[in-house]
Amino acid sequence: MIQKKVCMVGLFGTGKTSLVQRFVHSRFSDRYLSTVGVKIDRKPVALGGGEITLVLWDLAGRDGREDITASYLRGAHGVLYVADGTRRETYEQLDELRTIVRDAAGEVPSVLALNKSDLESEWTLSSADEKALASKGVVLRTSARSGDGVESLFQQLAADMLRAGEVRP
Amino acid sequence: MNSPERTTNPATVAADVSIDAFGLTHVGRVRKANEDHFAIVSLRKALQIRQTSLADAAIIEAIRVPEALLFVVADGVGGRPGGAQASMTAVTALVEYLGEAAGCFNSFDVEREHEFLEQLEAGVRRAHDRIVADYENEQQRPATTLTMATLVWPRAYLVHVGDSRAFYLRKGRLRQLTRDQTFGEMMVEAGAWTEDQAKRSPAGGALASAVGASDITPSIGLVDLETDDVMLFCTDGLTRHVSEDRITDVLQTSPDAEEACRRLVDAALDDGGTDNVTVIVARAVQGNARD
Repeated sequence: MIQKKVCMVGLFGTGKTSLVQRFVHSRFSDRYLSTVGVKIDRKPVALGGGEITLVLWDLAGRDGREDITASYLRGAHGVLYVADGTRRETYEQLDELRTIVRDAAGEVPSVLALNKSDLESEWTLSSADEKALASKGVVLRTSARSGDGVESLFQQLAADMLRAGEVRP
Repeated sequence: MNSPERTTNPATVAADVSIDAFGLTHVGRVRKANEDHFAIVSLRKALQIRQTSLADAAIIEAIRVPEALLFVVADGVGGRPGGAQASMTAVTALVEYLGEAAGCFNSFDVEREHEFLEQLEAGVRRAHDRIVADYENEQQRPATTLTMATLVWPRAYLVHVGDSRAFYLRKGRLRQLTRDQTFGEMMVEAGAWTEDQAKRSPAGGALASAVGASDITPSIGLVDLETDDVMLFCTDGLTRHVSEDRITDVLQTSPDAEEACRRLVDAALDDGGTDNVTVIVARAVQGNARD
């Protein structure tokens, strides 16, 4: 079985853990518990008649006290950036996060999840912001709460890794 | 302490960091038997030059694999017969498995790292299978929590089942690495209970996942340590009596791992000691203990 390491990267409270919980266990909790270190989950994904297992590294989010630990990113085959559409700083710091990832893991396929789409009325993200983000890579709207876009998010990254020649199921 | 205690004190070195580790278990003030177990184990691939014609033997020294350490605590599930047997079987099976299968891992190569994580999880499942094999009748089958970490400096790989806990202290901040796998936590996660309801309900502390039980869901994680970090592994006999603030204070002010263990166990006993209490403290200390 081919396994590929996917790192979840973003600021604290953007919903990285919730997206993994929704994707792997089909559940959602309103309770917020910050991730400490890395939590690891696995899920097989069907792709082009084959199957690969995504090994999901849910990294503690960047906060005012601690930055992303670069050593966790080493060897990543793909990255899921997660931003919260209701919090401007979570997408404004994406360029810095991309630099940290590039330095640690090199150029690897990535997808940006604009999470909390169920709270769109509270979004601070403008359509111009969203266009600017889309110019830098694939962007998908997701809601870990409702599940909208979550399956597509992980499928998209798996497909991108395949296209990049990273994965051959 | 007037109750028997079991201790062990291996110290090891990884690069220029030594690990001051100590473990302690106590029956407590109420229970008649201690159903907790723990182990601190060195995993080492030895490479020793017996004889060589090489002018520079340091080349071989350079490929010497650093020592890894395994820390494990297990708490036999109260209310079921054979809890002590279950925790002993789990710890023994896990150590045996890792001795056979995992060897000493020292690479950040992704493929090997994922294999290693699978082996750690497989070790927990072997412990589960052994308990299941020993007790055909599920109703009478004992169960146990199991919280373990394998430290391949600087990375600590964790596998956790039940409600024992792993913490680490960095720069005065204590962080819990594990989440309790209890019915109460499950209900809070689902939004059905408040945290207060989970604490007050008699069913809140029931294990939702345990080694030997009908449900086992190992949780896997890791953390990269730094010099001066302190790791703590403990059974709930500590955390039901000693606050995180008190734990932080003890870990910060104790001169070594042994002293920290003794003070933590004493604190649990002073508060009533209603359960068996087991702690392992591992301190990452700058410098090579063998120098």
